[in-house]
Amino acid sequence: MNILTLLIFIPVLFGIIIMVLPSNMRNSFKYITLAATLIQLGISIWMYLNFKTGANFGGINHEEQFQFVQKIPWISLNLGGMGKMQIDYFVGIDGISITLLVMTSFVMVIATLASWEIKSNLKGFFLLFLLLDMAVIGVFCALDFFLFYLFYELMLLPLYFLIGMWGGVRREYAAIKFFLYTLFGSVFMLLVMVGLYLSVTDPATGAHTFNMVQMMNPANYDQGSVFSLAAHRHILGMSARTVGFVVLFIAFAIKVPIVPLHTWLPDAHVEAPTPVSIILAGILLKIGGYGIIRICLGIFPEVATTYAFWLGLIGVISILYGAFNALAQRDLKRMIAYSSVSHMGFVLLGIASQTAEGISGAVMQMVSHGFLSTMLFFLVGVIYNRVHDRDIYHFRGLGTLMPKYTAFVMIAFFASLGLPGFSAFVAEAFTLAGTFKSHSVNGLLPYWMAVCGTVGILLGAAYFLWTLQRMFFGKESLKGGSIWKIALTDLNLREKLTLAPLAIIALALGVMPSLVFDKVNDSVLALIQFLQTK
Amino acid sequence: MNNTLSHTDTTLIICTLAAVAFPLFAALVNFCLPVKSKVAGWVSALAILLACILSAKVFAGVWNAPQLHVQQVWFTIGNTKVYAGILLNNLSVLMLLLVSLIALPVHVYSTAYMKYDERYSRYFTYLSFFCFSMLALVVVDNLVLFYGFWELVGFSSYLLIGFWFTRDKAVQANKKAFIMNRIGDIGLLSAILILFLVFHTFDIDRLFGRNSIVAQSVLLTGHWTSANENNWMVDGISYQLPAVWQYVAFAGILLAVAAKSAQFPLHTWLPDAMEGPTSVSSLIHAATMVAAGVFLLGRVYPMFTPTELTILAVMGCFTAFMAATIALTQNDLKRVLAYSTISQLGFMVLGMGVGAYSSSLFHLATHAFFKCLLFLVAGIVIHEMQHVKKDNHLDFDPQDILLMGGLRKKLPLTFIVAIVAGLALIGLPLTSGYLSKDGILIQAFEWSDGKNTWFKIIPVTALITSWLTAFYVARLIFKVFFGDFRLQNIYPNLKLHMRDGGWQYKVPVVLLAICCLFPLFSFNPFSYETSWLFKGMDIARIAKFESTYHLIIPVLVNLVSLVVLYLAYAIYVKQNSSAFSQTGFFYRLSYNQWYIDKIYKKVFVKPVLGLGKTLFWFDKNIIDGFVHLLANMAGCVARFSAWTDKYIVDGFLHLLAAMVQSIGNFARKFQGGKVQYYLFSMLVIVLALFLFKILI
Repeated sequence: MNILTLLIFIPVLFGIIIMVLPSNMRNSFKYITLAATLIQLGISIWMYLNFKTGANFGGINHEEQFQFVQKIPWISLNLGGMGKMQIDYFVGIDGISITLLVMTSFVMVIATLASWEIKSNLKGFFLLFLLLDMAVIGVFCALDFFLFYLFYELMLLPLYFLIGMWGGVRREYAAIKFFLYTLFGSVFMLLVMVGLYLSVTDPATGAHTFNMVQMMNPANYDQGSVFSLAAHRHILGMSARTVGFVVLFIAFAIKVPIVPLHTWLPDAHVEAPTPVSIILAGILLKIGGYGIIRICLGIFPEVATTYAFWLGLIGVISILYGAFNALAQRDLKRMIAYSSVSHMGFVLLGIASQTAEGISGAVMQMVSHGFLSTMLFFLVGVIYNRVHDRDIYHFRGLGTLMPKYTAFVMIAFFASLGLPGFSAFVAEAFTLAGTFKSHSVNGLLPYWMAVCGTVGILLGAAYFLWTLQRMFFGKESLKGGSIWKIALTDLNLREKLTLAPLAIIALALGVMPSLVFDKVNDSVLALIQFLQTK
Repeated sequence: MNNTLSHTDTTLIICTLAAVAFPLFAALVNFCLPVKSKVAGWVSALAILLACILSAKVFAGVWNAPQLHVQQVWFTIGNTKVYAGILLNNLSVLMLLLVSLIALPVHVYSTAYMKYDERYSRYFTYLSFFCFSMLALVVVDNLVLFYGFWELVGFSSYLLIGFWFTRDKAVQANKKAFIMNRIGDIGLLSAILILFLVFHTFDIDRLFGRNSIVAQSVLLTGHWTSANENNWMVDGISYQLPAVWQYVAFAGILLAVAAKSAQFPLHTWLPDAMEGPTSVSSLIHAATMVAAGVFLLGRVYPMFTPTELTILAVMGCFTAFMAATIALTQNDLKRVLAYSTISQLGFMVLGMGVGAYSSSLFHLATHAFFKCLLFLVAGIVIHEMQHVKKDNHLDFDPQDILLMGGLRKKLPLTFIVAIVAGLALIGLPLTSGYLSKDGILIQAFEWSDGKNTWFKIIPVTALITSWLTAFYVARLIFKVFFGDFRLQNIYPNLKLHMRDGGWQYKVPVVLLAICCLFPLFSFNPFSYETSWLFKGMDIARIAKFESTYHLIIPVLVNLVSLVVLYLAYAIYVKQNSSAFSQTGFFYRLSYNQWYIDKIYKKVFVKPVLGLGKTLFWFDKNIIDGFVHLLANMAGCVARFSAWTDKYIVDGFLHLLAAMVQSIGNFARKFQGGKVQYYLFSMLVIVLALFLFKILI
């Protein structure tokens, strides 16, 4: 049994157990889910420890350099005159996926622990939860475009129901908005995928293939096929490869999300229950960034280089726009949602720079934001569960009432605003270093983008500290009066056990960034090499 | 580099590491202790004592000896290796010793000062953490780590300013402090990135050390290019940037210095930072952290061009003058001292700008002692005033100097040390302040000599500022310690139990007072050039020459200062001369701190918040509005197609069906089953055919 396959499908196994158990055992469901995610975490850590590094394990466009690979023919159809259709079950990871994979399985454990708050229809919730778990892990492992797309679309379904059924007051609106936004991106992705399939042949079998790694090699494109580099085909007056890139980019950019395709995010986050917010912010957004690196950059490198300026510009706009919006929020969760937009802008900026520092910084930022946004949303969930309110102006002086909670909030806030010693600092600093370097290395991004990026760091301090001042410091004063005061108990053991590891990881990654960089480095260098030679 | 270290060097490195690590360890221990635990104070004090001893050992080993530099790879990103290491040279060991030496009395003082606080152990957690960050800041060898600790220092200051977080003013002050420091931080970050791009290293020694590659770099033909001495450059990598980025890097450093060392225009956080406990103000916001900006200048000194140095001088001079004028009229004890700190830091920056490198760092060291002492004195006074307030159940501001007076009889020891510190601050002979400040003034005059007459403005302003200093210090001391106790005049039945306090108060202030005198720094009380510290720091950038300034300036400064002191005495103690008008423009300008805070609020804070609100409106109404418009359009199209479906497509079908039905109904009538009808219809049809035939 391939370990990666095991990792992907473990949630399904446990899901089946939950499915067959009668409803009167509903209290055990959360423990079963927890067991599934813990096993998953164990496996991913084992893989992390056994992950080989070195120039021969770069991955990216070298199929043989991927690790923990499993490749078996899945759908093979003889289409007569049209040749053979070849879809593989092809999974494998390189440096970029491994760190995200560990982060994902960790966030899943946290999300499960946050699911303690769910009270209704437990069977449905945990089934969908585990299905989602399988899908997101699958996305990070799939190397066959068809398989990738399958997992990618499979995420939507559970998420739609998780938001729509267990969400807040405007949950239906938020769920539909989220679903349609994402679907809008992915239907066009389907077209490009088919186009790529028809353009690329596997040199080994001579059949058309969905193999993403083969798609990265220009030699594998049929002459005259739509996405062939040499053919210069046009779609609607634009170069076909540009269209392909833009379509894929929009699909992933919606997930990231970029301004102006971000408005699903605040609504979805605010309405979603805490565990789903955690998954959304912690993992879903990363799939966008991962997709851009793996697919947009991997398959259309020359277009990515041509449009790097615009990518960077979008990144900068997202950073600033998200930060300014966060400053204007009075709903704590919405504030954090906009801060996510701002922080993910750094990812895009780093990717656009196409420098080793920038891309490593972007991956680091994804990992770091995965842990930190999880922590932030969990913390919002704590207070929302107690009084069902999260308006910043309805609380004051929580520091006296809930000292431990405030301590964790401070850790999360300061880590998020990029205090040195925490992961976000390293990530943002090197993203900016890469951006700044870009002009003299490859001339893609102008210098001022880095300068604008630093302003985002300043604004980050502003909105987080202002929130701290308004909600947590000062004399105690609550909108709900004494009832709230009784309800607002300090953190319990489960919550502390959930938050402490997150804080420790954020700290560990900040002090020892090599935990991520060592694994990522070879792949990043391979990617840079690949982008330069094209 | 490690393997070439001798045994003594290794010991020194280990000592340095331990000196930095002890406070961190203390912070961790205290963090785990219960909130009210009284052990915390002694854990921290012990840690800083050990750090102090180790620093002294390191100092003895490194001062005026070859520098020590060890490093190892911290992490690799792409092809860039980022190192972590320690750089010990005169500058860093001096700071190392200074910080731990100042921190020790403050720790001891704090154990008494914070005794009744609810969160006693938290206080010491933060304090130790601050010491750790500060000690680490001065010894690290590369800019990434430097930036890290630079910001951690700001962070611990944030925690301590807002230590009494239930007070609104305190939490507003710490937010302001952190955000203003962040402005400086992004300046520093930009500067670091620019340096990295040109020189491809973060190593401070490599960049600014003996063979400084920054100093060798050239600004020619619109480009800033690194020099290629010893052919260290790698082919295929760019080592240059457009020249403008040199100035941007300077601007970044300038911002960083302005924020951390509270220079105009980023100085306004420091007076507000006085909301923290006074012991904290003493250590952080007077003696050590605020000096970090000057320390940074000392570290990156080789990168400045002459023009940039002039800009530094102007900034420092203006700040010194402005802050001194503000200090003249403030009535809050700590606020006066805060502005005095800003003013003195201005002197240091000015010193850096005019090339008085060693005098500037010398002033940093002497200022640390006397300003720390002045704050500790302020702490004792405020503490006693708070007791009066509490014992008598009154409501007044314990920091208002207008309510004090005549305290010299009630707090004799405090009075004496305050006088010592005050004289050192004014810079009268026999004190340490005399040595360091006169050095800056003399060199400022020397600097302006060969230049345009306009440059004279700078040393002259500095001179005036030092007289202003004499006045506000005198005003402060006279108001607090001389005359009648004005509070008693307001409330005649006051119960008073004022005293200097226990040994935790007395020992630190006396020790610091001794350090404010000349013997610690120089055996010749009148010549700063004989000071060991001055000599140790001298980088011999400018040729020394004996000018008449060495005689004129000290005499001029001190004579006029004495006159000013007498004037202040006449105004505030004898009251035989009328006080200044309190309605004039200059008074209001000074009292309102040049209105800078109000201007910032209007020009920066409000527009930023407004922009945030506007963008949110844009987000909600335009972007989301567009999404909703799309949704509504889809809805309209859907409704239209539903209508079409129902009325056109289905309508057509129904029409067809109806037609068929009606035709059928019509045709059915022919099948009535009555023979006469059949005959009749046959007749009609035959007739019709017949007619048809005839007509055609």
